[in-house]
Amino acid sequence: MIKTKNITFKYKKNGNHRFTFPDITLKDEENLLILGKSGIGKTTLLHLLAGLLKPVSGTIAIGFVDIHSLSPSQLDTFRGQHIGLVFQKNHAIQSLNVTENLESRLFFSRKAIDHVMINDLLEQLDLSDFKKSKVNELSEGQLQRLGIALSVIHNPQVILADEPTSSLDDENCKMVMDLLINQAKQNHANLIVITHDHRIKPLFSKAITL
Amino acid sequence: MTIWSISIQNLRSKPFYTFLSVFSLALSIALLLGIQQVEASFKYQMENNLGDIDLVIGAKGSPLQLVLASVLHMDNPTGNIPYEDAKKVGKNPMIKSAVPISYGDNYKGYRIVGTTKGFAPLYNAALEEGRAVKKSMEVVLGHTVAKQLQLKIGDTFLSSHGLVDNDIDVHSEKLKVVGIYKPTQKIIDRLIITNLESIWDVHHTEGEHEHGDEQEGGSIEHSGNAYEGKEITSLLISFRNPSAFLTLPRKINEQTNMQAALPKYELDRLYEYMGVGVKTISCIAYIILVISCMTIFISLYKMVKEHAFDLALLRTYGASNVQLIRMVGYEGCIMGLLAFLLGILLSKTGLSLMFKMVETEYKQNMLHELPLMEFLQIGALVFIMILAAIVLAIHPIIKMNISTILSHEN
Repeated sequence: MIKTKNITFKYKKNGNHRFTFPDITLKDEENLLILGKSGIGKTTLLHLLAGLLKPVSGTIAIGFVDIHSLSPSQLDTFRGQHIGLVFQKNHAIQSLNVTENLESRLFFSRKAIDHVMINDLLEQLDLSDFKKSKVNELSEGQLQRLGIALSVIHNPQVILADEPTSSLDDENCKMVMDLLINQAKQNHANLIVITHDHRIKPLFSKAITL
Repeated sequence: MTIWSISIQNLRSKPFYTFLSVFSLALSIALLLGIQQVEASFKYQMENNLGDIDLVIGAKGSPLQLVLASVLHMDNPTGNIPYEDAKKVGKNPMIKSAVPISYGDNYKGYRIVGTTKGFAPLYNAALEEGRAVKKSMEVVLGHTVAKQLQLKIGDTFLSSHGLVDNDIDVHSEKLKVVGIYKPTQKIIDRLIITNLESIWDVHHTEGEHEHGDEQEGGSIEHSGNAYEGKEITSLLISFRNPSAFLTLPRKINEQTNMQAALPKYELDRLYEYMGVGVKTISCIAYIILVISCMTIFISLYKMVKEHAFDLALLRTYGASNVQLIRMVGYEGCIMGLLAFLLGILLSKTGLSLMFKMVETEYKQNMLHELPLMEFLQIGALVFIMILAAIVLAIHPIIKMNISTILSHEN
């Protein structure tokens, strides 16, 4: 469950430009697509929801927690345990292999490292053959699937995806979105995708345009 | 999965760079350890060889030469002194023991020292087998001498005149081995000990007509025609109380025509001469140390800068700033520790190779362990430098803006 109210945000450097964002209310397992042109503040909104940026005003509640009332270290912990992030070109930790990346994801979110679960997830995402592969040995599609794995392995409440499909072809785009929606459902998590990619619009029942 | 294992993986992902940083630091540590150990070994060896000798009395000349010749048995003596005069000095109540030594012969390069019963106790040397010298022309061998020359009790040999091995100027009297000392790691291991009479007897019979040769050879003159006129090379003295250090040497230097030299003082002077070289090399080693700590810093800083996205990603995984700092810190510590171990290994192998060569030349094992304090000092220095490198390198983490880094992923 996510509920935002009257969020506004201003970058310190950018003079007086103030972002105002529409209120968002999502029930459990409800997904949302946020569309908008570049520079409109999509990523800013996503980072606000992830607790990476602090709003100038307004509240953001995930579950029943007002995330910006938490101390920085509490917020680190909360983010680690309840939020999963997917990026456009997914970066996993370069020096670790696929399995180690997932292990570190669990380690930092203070969850038990369960290899059965890791292997299961890699199986579902068709990455079983790449357990010991370094990140830079993976193709773009494989990387994006690893990104999805990293965003859901810790069973989060919210999955936030920033342009997850914009660098993928139609086939991979479809597959990635199916996997994301599927994984969100399995984890009973809210999925919020921000994009300017209209290909994925039909997959969401709820969408807002900034 | 721990922070340690991530640090190790980070290092392993750039093996060449890690190796270079570690190796250059190891090299400077090895150099520092090596130079300190050489210095420590040298000092230890010298001071060990002093035994209980506080003062040396000999003929006038260079005091350093007197010490080198009579205490360390390295140089030619300054000359001889009358035995009678030496005996008088020895009666001073401040003196615990006064041991006369006299020499001028060698056997295959090992010096033959004519002395009294008091000599061996100066070095805590005990007999391994056989007995002490009882009469003229009997000798007891130092441990190294017996081993190197493979001499046993009952063997006899002819000594050569002077302090350098030669086959031409050989005395006609045979010396007989009656005992062998246990190893002491001191100079006595490399000496052949006999009594004063042996030296006098050998040179008494030949002294008359070989007198001129001795002068030319630059070796010691120790001939005497009458018993009263006997001469010795020097007198080794240990004091009963420390106040003798102040009064006795001056008294001897002013009131007699002999000279008194304090071995510790003379050796300190010698170290001072040597110190310039040691200091220069130490200086170079410290500079290399600073430079290699800078490479460690660059390596860590590069990691933090180039992997900024990874670090931001870890923050989204729930890692705190402290955990990221620990990660970088562990990387620095691992490199520092590896360098330190490698440095120890390098200096140990380097030195033992070096000393193997020296050992055969000087017939003595000179390698001595570095005192723990100096070892810890170098360790602490490296640790502090690494710590400084880490503190400088983590600066970007503290100032990191995760949102900015993540939104500039392309």
